[in-house]
Amino acid sequence: MDIEEMQAIWSQIGQDLEKQKKITNTLVMKMTQERYANKFSKLATYETLGAFICFITALVILLNFNKLDTWYLVLCGALLTGYFITLPALVLKSLYTIKAIKIDVTSYAVTVKKYVKAKNKLMLVQQLGVYLNFVALLLVIPVFSKLFKNKDVFVTPNTIWYWLLPVLVILMVLVSRWGYNCYKKITNSAENLLKELEDIEV
Amino acid sequence: MTKEEKFVELIQNNQGLIFKITTVYTTNKTDQQDLYQDIVYQLWKSFDGFKNQSKISTWMYRVALNTALTRLKKKIKAPKSIAIEKVVLQQTENYDPVFEERLKMVYAQIQQLNVLEKALMLLLLEGKQYDEIAEIVGITASNVGTKISRIKQKMKNNILNK
Repeated sequence: MDIEEMQAIWSQIGQDLEKQKKITNTLVMKMTQERYANKFSKLATYETLGAFICFITALVILLNFNKLDTWYLVLCGALLTGYFITLPALVLKSLYTIKAIKIDVTSYAVTVKKYVKAKNKLMLVQQLGVYLNFVALLLVIPVFSKLFKNKDVFVTPNTIWYWLLPVLVILMVLVSRWGYNCYKKITNSAENLLKELEDIEV
Repeated sequence: MTKEEKFVELIQNNQGLIFKITTVYTTNKTDQQDLYQDIVYQLWKSFDGFKNQSKISTWMYRVALNTALTRLKKKIKAPKSIAIEKVVLQQTENYDPVFEERLKMVYAQIQQLNVLEKALMLLLLEGKQYDEIAEIVGITASNVGTKISRIKQKMKNNILNK
């Protein structure tokens, strides 16, 4: 089948569609309702909620920071506070960058480039988050034990952590592997898009 | 005429354009309905921004193709879509099985192309000139020509390999 033949069939579909019943006024306006919204809005809502919880946790640590009475606990507390503030802020920033891409004002090629760039940034932040979660897991134990039970786990280790910590690490490895695979899948398709455009002058 | 009335008329007059794009960029009816709704929503959202600097069809293709493209990469659990099959996706009264078979062949050929090639092919089949395709897609007209030659070659090879 050559292009001319395909064009003839294509124009026939156009004529058939013209003959079909027109889509109703109500249906068109229903499709424009805000409730449908951008799918990223949903993701952004969950991420915003998650970020809010992280910020509250960071605030709790900061308000009780004076309870951390040794240099290593202060270090753990400071790193953990930084984690709870920086990571969600970076994720939110990347998400809102994607949301802000206006698809009507730019051409296809420009949109692809902007989109792939923003998507890669978001994925990079999420991958960074996977690694930082392991560090945070190790920091949470001493900081929260001190803040809520007034126990220094480095001086008086709690036996519960002997089995709980490996379980948490295994769980996190599983979640991270799943997350990493998702990351690989998305970035691979993004790379394919860029390859399509590499010989295009934008 | 109110803004809503103008918009409804625009969609009604161009429902075929949206339908064709959704067919090329989806593989099942649910996805197609979802994309159809997404395109209408995006057109409505950017309707105010349309300044008549380009042809209305150019603007519509641009928004619709960009929506299809960005949607392909989201793949996030879709919200419930509004059923449109009874008004847009129905069979025509003069159903012709031979034509249907040939149409399936056209779609099968297009489905083998990548995202950008699909857009170029779709616009070529719509009878657009290279200049207009270039404006919609955002590449130079000479690039459009080169890419279309490659697509033709690719399609020829696909047929020969079968």
